[in-house]
Amino acid sequence: MTGTPLVSGPVPATSAPLVLEVDTVSKSYGSVRALVDARFAVARGQIVGLLGPNGAGKSTCMKAVMGLIRPDAGQIRVLGRDLQDDPVAAKRSLGYVPESPSLYEFLTGAEYLDFVADMYGLDAAARQERIPPFLEGLELAGHENALISGYSQGMRQKVALIAALLHRPRLLVLDEPLNGLDPRSARVVKDLLRSLATRDGVGVLFSTHVLEIAQAICDRVVILSHGRVLASDTVDALRARAGLSGSALEDVFLSLTGTGDLGEVVEALSRAG
Amino acid sequence: MDLHRVRRIADVLVVSQLRSGRSSSNPRSVLGRSLFLAIVDVIVFLVAFAGADFVVRAGGSAIGPVASLVVSFLPFVPLVGVGAVLVAGVMFELTTTQKFSMSDAVNWLPISPAEYVAASSTAIAYAYSPAVVLLLGLTLPFAIGSGAFLVWGLAAFLAGVSLYEGGFLVEMVRAATQRATSVSVGRRGHATLVLRAVLLIVVILALQLAFNPIFLLDVLQGFSALGLVTAVVPFFWGTEAVLVGRTGNVLAAVGFAAGLSLFSALLFGLAVRLRGRYWVVSASEIRLEPIEYAAGHPALRALGLSTAEAALVSKDLRGLVRRRELLPLLVVPVILIVLVLVEGRSIGLVGAIVWAGWVAGFFALLLAATAVGQERRALQTLFAFPLTPRTIFRAKAIAVLVPSLVSALVLGVTVGVLFGLAPAPLAGLVGLTLVAAAVLTLWGLVFAARFSDFQERPRPQYLRPSAMLAAMGSGMVLLFAIIVPGAIAVEAPFFAVAGPALVTALVAAIAGALALHFARTGFDRLFRELPF
Repeated sequence: MTGTPLVSGPVPATSAPLVLEVDTVSKSYGSVRALVDARFAVARGQIVGLLGPNGAGKSTCMKAVMGLIRPDAGQIRVLGRDLQDDPVAAKRSLGYVPESPSLYEFLTGAEYLDFVADMYGLDAAARQERIPPFLEGLELAGHENALISGYSQGMRQKVALIAALLHRPRLLVLDEPLNGLDPRSARVVKDLLRSLATRDGVGVLFSTHVLEIAQAICDRVVILSHGRVLASDTVDALRARAGLSGSALEDVFLSLTGTGDLGEVVEALSRAG
Repeated sequence: MDLHRVRRIADVLVVSQLRSGRSSSNPRSVLGRSLFLAIVDVIVFLVAFAGADFVVRAGGSAIGPVASLVVSFLPFVPLVGVGAVLVAGVMFELTTTQKFSMSDAVNWLPISPAEYVAASSTAIAYAYSPAVVLLLGLTLPFAIGSGAFLVWGLAAFLAGVSLYEGGFLVEMVRAATQRATSVSVGRRGHATLVLRAVLLIVVILALQLAFNPIFLLDVLQGFSALGLVTAVVPFFWGTEAVLVGRTGNVLAAVGFAAGLSLFSALLFGLAVRLRGRYWVVSASEIRLEPIEYAAGHPALRALGLSTAEAALVSKDLRGLVRRRELLPLLVVPVILIVLVLVEGRSIGLVGAIVWAGWVAGFFALLLAATAVGQERRALQTLFAFPLTPRTIFRAKAIAVLVPSLVSALVLGVTVGVLFGLAPAPLAGLVGLTLVAAAVLTLWGLVFAARFSDFQERPRPQYLRPSAMLAAMGSGMVLLFAIIVPGAIAVEAPFFAVAGPALVTALVAAIAGALALHFARTGFDRLFRELPF
């Protein structure tokens, strides 16, 4: 579905300064258009959910925001600075958890976090103050001296999350950050994100397929489909504009992405199963 | 045991090996199917047979002594089978990453240990069968011509049994190293590293011996003298069966052949038990002692490195000693230094200097050329940090220079002491090995920045194969251009040193400056956009 966007603009529903501006960004891989004139923004203290079906361009968008890939057109500004002009300065303010974190498996958890702290130039006092509480809170304490190669997927995800938060970034870019986490840790992370946003004014760009999570913690959602921004607004505003007041975000999402009636699909799968 | 299931698993394992080396292989291509190995076997057999048959026919009656020599080799065909599988299989096991050696992809399926061992051994035996098929094709015309067809048939059967025997042994090694990994995983893998290093050195030395004609001749002579001893060692029963079969002692031949088969069955049973027990790496241990978090690496920072650069270098050095797939790289200088010690004096001073410089430079080239590809998917982690490409370049260069310069120093001093060099030529020799290592480090990084391979594979290659060939070829030429004049300068009398030393200095300076420029621009380009 590539019709007229319900809302498509960089200005969030807040007067807070913007920490991220994605301005008409496009990116193609050969003939595949992964992002087409994408426009949205994240304000200080705001959690923005980036939603979309598989292959919609969410990970491409996040990689572009992190400077991992170069847009073919458009501009990305982090804290008002063009990402391409000074990527190193921008990255000092960014924390990133990729969809599948690639950690150095031959390091222990503690060594990896020390390594990340070195990358951001944290002093010993800051490390000692920040790392142990994160390990305790995410139930990694006691495992930090083991090699990461022996960690479960959830433990790796926790290490990646701590690594992203260690230097107290002003913008967090999280690609499916709750993947593999147990319910307690997932709750801790959700509450932590809300607290960081509200208390410290951290902006969060958050990608997920679990729409209940997006509905619960996001101030705004950006819905991508086929590389285009279909909608960018609060959940309530999207409900109203889609004519689905009182419905769950899932219904709004399915309506906007044109998925249509799923009854036939389920029926066919039931027969196959 | 479900034989159909065994066949399907074996098929998948063979296909996995065939496709692991190619990033863009077409799954429908015959090159990526297990049928490909059967076709190779048939072609190898037919070509070998045709070639040997031509020799037999062309030789006429004069071929008699050659034929009897070839037929006398038949008893060793089963040994070649088990040897090829064992050496190649253990090498494969030692160079695969932990992720791929754990067989996690099949552990969740309802497969019994016996089915997995049978399938994996079949895949291993099948993968290395062309070596045995080649020998069988070469020997068949001579065996027919000498009336020893039945002996050849017995050797062929036992070669097949031996391939499986080797496969079962490899399975036992895998289970044992898996156990070692389990034991040491919470202890940062030191025990595993030592075990693998020892295994690797033994395997490489075994390979050297296996292709050393003098050693093989000694073994052949030893067989006639120690016939009784070999008769009680099960690994030689295949050879014994063919030896006694040639003398017409059918009963003894059948006895040894049956013995070998029973021994293989016993190995199968042991491999199944080991697999059943150590099929997966156990959970890591928990430690509760407090940890100090602080910016470390004072030695590296004393060299003038920033905190981030020191951390990157330290990370790479840790990887070098902890990652099992990098172990072969680390073992190279150890083995070559041993060889210098063993054979150094026999090749003369100039030869030894060239050898030492070559080893120092080659080691540096190998490390540097693979330095960027070693990051694999974690490259995106580096991208996300606030680092400039130049910072990463400096860190990578120093991470390679540290082990390269240390091994160059050891090599130079070893050769110098071995030949009793005076202080001045010794300093010249050490300087030469250090320069070779430094220039080849930069040379390797030129290729690493441009042609690294970040694919996750069972046997990671780090650098695209064509780039590796180009790096090795050009690196060798460059190395000899630096080393040979330098070696002449070290050995030359005082008044004749300047000329060759100047050539070495000029070549090293020009190549070093060019490599530095292209390596730095290569890193600038690499870190513009994630290459995957």
